[in-house]
Amino acid sequence: MRRPLAGRITALVAAGLLLPALAACGSDDDGSSQGKGGDSALVIYSGRNEKLVKPLLDKLEKAVGTKVEVRYGDSAELAAQLLEEGERTKAGLFFSQDAGALGSLSKEGMLAKLPQTHLDKVDKAYRSGDGDWVGTSGRVRVIAYHPDKVAEGEVPDSVHDVVKPEWKDKVGFAPTNASFQAFVTGMRVLEGDDATRKWLKALKDNGAKTYAHNLATLDAVESGEVSLGLINHYYWYERVAEKGEEKVGAKLHFLPGKDPGALINVAGVGILTNAGQSEAAQKAVDFLLSKEAQTYFADETKEYPLAAGVTSTVEGLPPFDSLESPDIDLGKLESLQETLAMLQDVGLV
Amino acid sequence: MTDTNELHVEGLTKSYGDGDPVVLRGLDLTVPTGALAAVLGPSGCGKTTLLRIVAGFLRADAGTVRLGNRVVGGPGVHVPPERRRIGIVPQEGALFPHLSVGHNVTFGLKGVDRPERRRRAEEMLELVGLAGYGDRMPHELSGGQQQRVALARALAPRPQLVLLDEPFNALDSALRAGVRADVRTALRATGATAVLVTHDQQEALSTADLVAVVRDGRVAQCDTPQDLYRRPADPWVAGFVGDAVLLPGTVDTDGTVRTALGTVPLRALPEGNPRTGTVLLRPEQLRLTGPTAQGAVRGTVTDVCFYGHDAMVTVAVDGHAAPVGIRVAGPLRVRPGEETGVRVLGEGTLHRDGCEPTAL
Amino acid sequence: MPNTPRAAPRSAGASALASAPAEASAAAGRGRFRTFHAFRTRTGRRPPLVLLVPACVAALFALLPLGYLAVRALERGPGYAWDVVADARTLHLLGRSLGLTAVVVAASLVLGISLAWLTVRTALPGARAWSVLATLPLAVPSYVAAFAWLSAEPSVAGFGGAALALTLVSFPYVHLPVAAALRGIDPAQEEASRSLGHGPSATFLRVTLPQLRPAAAGGGLLVALYVLSDFGAVSLMRYDTFTRAIHTSYRASFDRTPAAALSVVLVVMTVALVAAETRTRGRAGHARTGTGTARPAVPLPLGRYRPLALLWCGAVAAVAVVFPLGTLAYWLTAGSSAAWDLGGLADTAWATLGVAAAGAALTTVLALPVGVIAARHRGRGARLLEQAAYAGHALPGITVALSLVFFAVRYAYPLYQQLPLLVCAYAVLFLPVAVAATRAAVLQAPPVLEDVARSLGRRPWQVLREVTVPLAAPGVAAGAALTFVVCMKELPATLLLRPTGMDTLATRLWTETGAGSFAAAAPYAAALILLAAVPSYLLGRHRT
Repeated sequence: MRRPLAGRITALVAAGLLLPALAACGSDDDGSSQGKGGDSALVIYSGRNEKLVKPLLDKLEKAVGTKVEVRYGDSAELAAQLLEEGERTKAGLFFSQDAGALGSLSKEGMLAKLPQTHLDKVDKAYRSGDGDWVGTSGRVRVIAYHPDKVAEGEVPDSVHDVVKPEWKDKVGFAPTNASFQAFVTGMRVLEGDDATRKWLKALKDNGAKTYAHNLATLDAVESGEVSLGLINHYYWYERVAEKGEEKVGAKLHFLPGKDPGALINVAGVGILTNAGQSEAAQKAVDFLLSKEAQTYFADETKEYPLAAGVTSTVEGLPPFDSLESPDIDLGKLESLQETLAMLQDVGLV
Repeated sequence: MTDTNELHVEGLTKSYGDGDPVVLRGLDLTVPTGALAAVLGPSGCGKTTLLRIVAGFLRADAGTVRLGNRVVGGPGVHVPPERRRIGIVPQEGALFPHLSVGHNVTFGLKGVDRPERRRRAEEMLELVGLAGYGDRMPHELSGGQQQRVALARALAPRPQLVLLDEPFNALDSALRAGVRADVRTALRATGATAVLVTHDQQEALSTADLVAVVRDGRVAQCDTPQDLYRRPADPWVAGFVGDAVLLPGTVDTDGTVRTALGTVPLRALPEGNPRTGTVLLRPEQLRLTGPTAQGAVRGTVTDVCFYGHDAMVTVAVDGHAAPVGIRVAGPLRVRPGEETGVRVLGEGTLHRDGCEPTAL
Repeated sequence: MPNTPRAAPRSAGASALASAPAEASAAAGRGRFRTFHAFRTRTGRRPPLVLLVPACVAALFALLPLGYLAVRALERGPGYAWDVVADARTLHLLGRSLGLTAVVVAASLVLGISLAWLTVRTALPGARAWSVLATLPLAVPSYVAAFAWLSAEPSVAGFGGAALALTLVSFPYVHLPVAAALRGIDPAQEEASRSLGHGPSATFLRVTLPQLRPAAAGGGLLVALYVLSDFGAVSLMRYDTFTRAIHTSYRASFDRTPAAALSVVLVVMTVALVAAETRTRGRAGHARTGTGTARPAVPLPLGRYRPLALLWCGAVAAVAVVFPLGTLAYWLTAGSSAAWDLGGLADTAWATLGVAAAGAALTTVLALPVGVIAARHRGRGARLLEQAAYAGHALPGITVALSLVFFAVRYAYPLYQQLPLLVCAYAVLFLPVAVAATRAAVLQAPPVLEDVARSLGRRPWQVLREVTVPLAAPGVAAGAALTFVVCMKELPATLLLRPTGMDTLATRLWTETGAGSFAAAAPYAAALILLAAVPSYLLGRHRT
């Protein structure tokens, strides 16, 4: 009795494995022929989420005029992959979620210098000092708060205030999040390592709660688990767009007075030197800095446009010019090593 | 078929690695064409190792294995098992559970067309008394039937030699004798030389043409069952192949020997004409008599074991420390505690003292 | 007394035990017991080349990440690597990782063994259904389980949450082999124990449990390596482990050298764990429990413990299966981002099935020779081969993926970012899963059958094809199904190595949750779990 059953299961498993595997091999042929025929194709490694930028990149394909293949991933992991690929990379363009990943490629000399005309479209603060990457959109660090727990006027105006005893156990943040780490790096640049370390220690000692990412932090603020959350502005605006403002149980506070907590970081692009796609890649950069793309960032991802004179029309979003963010060279944020070491020392990551 | 299917094993030595005890120490064995030889020995004597070396599953450290005119294993020579033309019948049959009986039997037939395979399978199954079982699956057979199929499978490719590794162990005793006899008949019918490995002396004596007693990695004695039983090479062999009565004795000038059971004639004097030695008698050579019968020594019955076809009576004899066993056929007239007399029939064998093997 | 070879195959140890009384009259030679039974233990035989060569290829394959790690870790000299590793924090993280591993393994053993015993050996109502339910958690990716728990109760974050989520997805690794082993144990042994005055629990502890040790240890090893390599659950639960430190190193410093140095520590841990598991096998490893028994065991009546047993099984099924599915159902019905794209979902599901099937097929083929050698041969070489297969299993997926990037761009550029490379990555990642299954399956087939086949004129590769593989096929297929499930769930290596533009359910899930649209992610998670549940279901029904 057992053998036939075992035999049937074996056959079933074998068939179940073979059928899709064969199909996969079949589709693989398609893939490879595409790859070979796609010498003229522009390959983009995108650290920005597909959900956020795919419609834009579809438009980009039209604008560039060649086939565009996009590989989505995590910015840091894609950077590691690009470093591992070295000069044999297939990527012509790296579209990164943050400046740090671009900086790491720049440091290894993998990025090509961009034409000055491109660079000039963006404020010097939001592009590489070496001229090999350029910011495409900006985001600002803000404090999200739970309106029932904190009155609007009581929300701290500085990150230095959130380590005060009145906020004990009431602050949430995402220590492994690249934006948070960029902010810490910014603080180090602005105020020095000792002050930053002291602040981090105070934050930890004050019982601040850590979350996996900004969204989880925002969730915690919404649920009242914490009263304040250190996040990027657009998470809140996206959630408002999804659920409607009245249903979002958190509000935002933009920090005044060039507080380090009001750091503006950018998503940006760089062209890979070795992929031989620089012509298409330059067109792509051109497009990303165009009015169309910049408007997309403003309207769809709720970020701040950085070029082409586009201003955000998102309701309730303070104008970019009105932000009182600290003056900092984003290029200096590229090495997070010391920040990481500090976070580790303090015991936050 | 090769003219000769003789198995000739010479000087086999094997140990399983540094520090491990040596398993075979220069084992020699010759089995003539068509004979069924039993390799008999206690656990750990090396008989299974011998079988595996002959089959080609193991390489010996030294020594040669010759089958017919071919050296199949030896210095620089190792014919892989599949080219030795040696069939094996493992313990418990080891039929392929995923193949039918018929396919099990034809498993070893290569380059044979389908009708011939079927014919051969039927022929072999008929030989082992299982005609018509070809379509069954192994698990539908009893243990004895499986064992017969295993033999049919081994014989089907017409091997020069068949190795049987304690094939009757798993069978209950009622079944065992029948299967044993059938196996013998089938082997005879094919003319293959066969080696049966066993630790059961009855099985060895009753089934084989030739019995090789292996002790401590060597063949202690190789003889026909009768000679082995009657004229064991030493007391250990004597005890291993059957019940033995061992008595110290002193040799008289007339070729008899004086023992606690009286004067016993000897078959032959051992080499070197020793004055004293151990005399071996078999329990069936002893007879119970009346306590005062002439030519008998007196003793007391200490135990009676009844086996049906005969019985074993244990008697404490005056002048001998250990009680002696006496096999009694027919009706039993004694009971433990009774006085009795004991008389010796036939000849004994004398073994020199001091040549007993070290205990295993 | 149907004494079939299928029913009869007993281990070297068991047959030695069985034949011992028969040979006791012939006395002697206890010291040589082992060598006497060389027939079964296969001492001193070298694996045939037909196995050895492909097994070495498989082992080399599995060792690729180690080669990469060596290159990267030593890039700035051994001194630098040592500085990274010798940091006090390394020890701290090591402690945390091992602590989590120990707790998850212990909990998985308790869950896996108790459920296996209840479903196989007792008169538990609906035993078969429970047995399947106990296998289904395999289908749940650790990050989905962690997410489900976090969304229901954010305060579980930390050690407790990580241990909970990981235990609930990995205990089937213990349950499956232990259930198979339990089915193979001769009930006569337990009856003998009962007759000798031991109650059911004493019998379980003294007779049954020791025999389950090899199966439980093998499953426990897979659980341990799974926990060591997991990133999804620990990062969501915010519990700092070694893997998380490796990820952080990539993420925050864009530096591969410290990450590689830390990964080497994971490899060392793996080797230690594998060696420990090999030790627990000891002689018992080859004294495996048989495939079946002459007589099926009489199910133990549960009596007044029946409600308790049902409650236990129900509770486990509720938290391990019903709860994550319920959470997904909630997300499926909540939120406005749930724009169902059925066409896309179907395409992604089909692509996932294809790539996972190819991964499972290659992994199984590579595992076959290693598993056969591990089951049939002893000695250092055989052990090394098997351990090599495990070497990279505790490495986080990203490390394995980067190592394949490293080798592919240098030596196999045409394959780079093509499907075959991704399939290879699955094989490297999951070889041990298939090796463990193959080894167990081959151990079920009595080795004497292979000897018989040889004596009947078959060459080693023919023996493999005609005897070993057919006999081990159900178990090997079970291993393939298991590999299929883990391939489907794989994320980090898939992200890096998939052909540009290709999506699996796991990458889709990652994309959607990364954009914060959990409602949009839910259909992919549900599809992933449901599809993975099919082979899991077969595994649960499969009776080795």
